[in-house]
Amino acid sequence: MSLNNGQSLNVGGQDFTKNGGSSSRAPWEDARTVLRPSTPTRKPKSPKPENAITIAVSSRVLFNMEKEQQIYEQQGMEEYIKYQVEHETEPFSPGPAFSFVKALEAVNAKLRELYPESEELFDVVLMTNNHANVGLRLINTINHHREFQGHLGDMSFYLFSSAVLIFKDNLCQICEPGIAAAIMFTPEKMKEVSDTQLRVAFDGDAVLFSDESERICKAHGLDKFFEHEKAHENKPLDHGPLKGFLEVLGKLQKKFYGKGQRMDCPIRTYLVTARSAASSGTRALKTLRSWGLEIDEALFLAGAPKGPMLEKIRPHIFFDDQMFHVEGAAEMGTVACHVPYGIAQRVVKKGTKDKETPNASK
Amino acid sequence: MVSTDQKTDVKEKEADCPVVVAVTSHAVFESGAEDPDGLYVGGIAFPLLQALQKVNERLLKENPAESLLFDVILITTESQQQQESSRITESIRHHGLKVSRFCFSNEEDFMENLLNNNVHLFLTTNRNEALQGSQKGVLSVLLDEHTASCPTEQLRVLFCGDAVVQSEAGPALASKQAAQSFSAQIGKMRGRFGPFDSPISIALVTSRGGRESCGDALRTLRSLGVNADEAYCLAGVPRGPIKRLLRPHFLLSECFSSN
Repeated sequence: MSLNNGQSLNVGGQDFTKNGGSSSRAPWEDARTVLRPSTPTRKPKSPKPENAITIAVSSRVLFNMEKEQQIYEQQGMEEYIKYQVEHETEPFSPGPAFSFVKALEAVNAKLRELYPESEELFDVVLMTNNHANVGLRLINTINHHREFQGHLGDMSFYLFSSAVLIFKDNLCQICEPGIAAAIMFTPEKMKEVSDTQLRVAFDGDAVLFSDESERICKAHGLDKFFEHEKAHENKPLDHGPLKGFLEVLGKLQKKFYGKGQRMDCPIRTYLVTARSAASSGTRALKTLRSWGLEIDEALFLAGAPKGPMLEKIRPHIFFDDQMFHVEGAAEMGTVACHVPYGIAQRVVKKGTKDKETPNASK
Repeated sequence: MVSTDQKTDVKEKEADCPVVVAVTSHAVFESGAEDPDGLYVGGIAFPLLQALQKVNERLLKENPAESLLFDVILITTESQQQQESSRITESIRHHGLKVSRFCFSNEEDFMENLLNNNVHLFLTTNRNEALQGSQKGVLSVLLDEHTASCPTEQLRVLFCGDAVVQSEAGPALASKQAAQSFSAQIGKMRGRFGPFDSPISIALVTSRGGRESCGDALRTLRSLGVNADEAYCLAGVPRGPIKRLLRPHFLLSECFSSN
């Protein structure tokens, strides 16, 4: 088993797979379905997967396991497991995905209030290729955070699997069509984010949209790119891997609007793109409109760095296909995820597996 | 009852006794089938036996003096097979299986045989036999066609952690003690190998309860000396997909039952 998913990207030292939610269909191809018939407990029910928006997080994004990771790297698997077991009752501290998951649960709580019968909720699944022996420490940690922070209780599926055998399958299947996946990085210093409003920021090309325009840019340069975008302004771009997630967020937003909560909707979405408002941005907006999708704020940076803008927005999570932007965001305290898709990946350093390119999500 | 000893060199130390696994000929061979040489054709339990053998080979590789090994006994109640005992032994040898003893018995005696041979695990494709075995306190596992498709390179054991949900394959009455001691043996064997490249893989699945259930099950296993490699807390998700992914040779749930 390797704790390292094979992609050694080093902002913040963390590298694993965190899946963005797909549309409301259960995203897992076979084994990792999450289905919960009603359980007779006081806890709120977890939704059935076909109704839910399933988000899988890896243990190392949810919690801070840096120290343990070091032990694994320097002393090997057995020492690592031994250490984990010895420290079983010590909860991990939160990792980069923690505030995101908390925000998801906060949204769930509000949705339940407004629509008590609905199963259209976020369903958070903990998936990790950690050894089962580490499972107890993870469970203890979740219990701890639940008690002291009142959140993070409702994960419905835990998967501790050490076998290289299994995990390799997982990794391939995670990147099969239909599942949006991204690699989350830890900022040096995480900026504070909202407790009450889930904020998700997306890059445009090769994240919400396909990488078709980026290809032109790379092949023929910026001028050609502008020309092309102007000429095709009214032709919607093809969709990218995170389109489904935006779609699903939009769907939930409408549920809040339906109950009069437009002004302080608990979900807010952002487009943060290098396109410029004057020219190429139009096509992006028109594409979104043609998909029937709304985005709360569109920020056209015309090539300016994204870090400072993101720092103002304070999203819980930001998706981009280019490491340059991911790193830039993380430097300024934003939890940024690299979406390993599209033409930008060909240019990246060695070690990136081609097969980890997620196809467009549903 | 007639029994033929093929091998008498199975060591029995005080500390680590072999794990005696009895398997019926129905499970090992496909009934009614014959290959061109007139030998029996491998049946449902075949991959399982090969996996057991693989474990033994690896155990001996780690420690040539290892005594905690699987000791496989073939049991048959079919009189025809008993008359053609050489055909059975030939078939076994031909397929490269290592069976230490053959027990030919009749239907009344075969239960006693299990007990006399100190069988830790009884494998059969016959539901009645499995039931009888359980009632006598022998850990009995009913094999089905899924077993036939399991890997031969690694023995895969799946523990089902919810007491409520019994393994579909096994009858509900197997004694807890037999299950626990077998599990402890498996745990010990697993412990002979490191985290990677082990010929045994142990997985835990809890079906209904949440993480508490899973945590409890992990602790129970640990108290038996079993360290699971993988754990799945399904919290209500159907087990089918996980089972298909894991392809366990057999499931054990009796360790966790409350009675």
